[in-house]
Amino acid sequence: MTSEIFRTRDVVVFTKAKTIPVMIDPALAAGGWPGGQGVQWIDDPNIDTFKVTYSAGRYGGFLLWGSNESSDQFISVTQSQPTYKYAVMCIGPWVVSTTTFETYTYASRTGGGPLVRNVFTPGNKLRFSRRGYFTPEKENGSLPDLFVARVIQAPNTVINNGYLELQSMI
Amino acid sequence: MTQFFPPPPGSYKIDFGGMDLLRSRDCVCLVKGETFEVAVDPALAKGGWPGGQGVQWVDATSDAFTVAYSSGSFGGFLLWGSNESSDQYTAMTGQQLTYGYAVMVAGRGLISTSSYEQYTLASRTGPGPLVPLVYGANDLLYFSLRGLWSKEQEAPNLLSSGVVAQVPKAVNEFFLGVQFTL
Repeated sequence: MTSEIFRTRDVVVFTKAKTIPVMIDPALAAGGWPGGQGVQWIDDPNIDTFKVTYSAGRYGGFLLWGSNESSDQFISVTQSQPTYKYAVMCIGPWVVSTTTFETYTYASRTGGGPLVRNVFTPGNKLRFSRRGYFTPEKENGSLPDLFVARVIQAPNTVINNGYLELQSMI
Repeated sequence: MTQFFPPPPGSYKIDFGGMDLLRSRDCVCLVKGETFEVAVDPALAKGGWPGGQGVQWVDATSDAFTVAYSSGSFGGFLLWGSNESSDQYTAMTGQQLTYGYAVMVAGRGLISTSSYEQYTLASRTGPGPLVPLVYGANDLLYFSLRGLWSKEQEAPNLLSSGVVAQVPKAVNEFFLGVQFTL
């Protein structure tokens, strides 16, 4: 017997860990983000606040709710995060199912050739890609090996709607 | 500095300009980790410690979980200093030292602390002038050889204990924002 999980959000939470309300930088506010977006700290020399921007491989954590998800339309919180320039960041050992991962390898995304799929294997380490998505690759060679999660279940369109299930360890 | 309040005429939007943190302690906790009551070893009890002090486990002759000053390893860090100004003339003045205990924090969370290394190990221990450590957002943090937060890995091959969430600057009273991963 299997459960039927409603995956109506970018991040579906199975086990909650810690959350931190953070402010977001102008790039995030203007560009928006999906739930599960990896973020890293950014300094603002003039304000005593804790602020994040898109991850380029480092962490902070990941953002729980997207800036404009379909499940948030026509309700009181519609676009409240980019409007008021805040988000909710997740740290610690979460178990989530998410659509925010790199489907294709970095080389194939940025090269001229055909797209090559990333292989997600249960138990393998995940990092943040150069745009802050979960990926098995270490895309930025200049950084230490900053792994942020492990794969629980690989994306599969038949059994999990193509969501990646992972355990974070940030 | 940008004026955030009151909002511009005709606007209903209030741009939240940041928190007003009262930093009256060595270690200000914004997101709490796990806390443990631990015994302190004789060196800690004698020397005292600031809030945010890194500690590591040490074997004791009694059946008590005991910590000592970190020399790069962890344990965790101590939440309250042994003799902070905010604890003067209260019921708990000096009680951690008196009773030989402290409250250790581990796990994941966010703090703002004054207990970090301001100068490089080489300049602290060498004969030359002191060389400031320049902290940047997302720098990995370690415990120094005396258990303070530092971006230098003073003890080789030991794990990082956090990342820089906020750099020391005038508007935060030169406290270091630490996202700890202990």
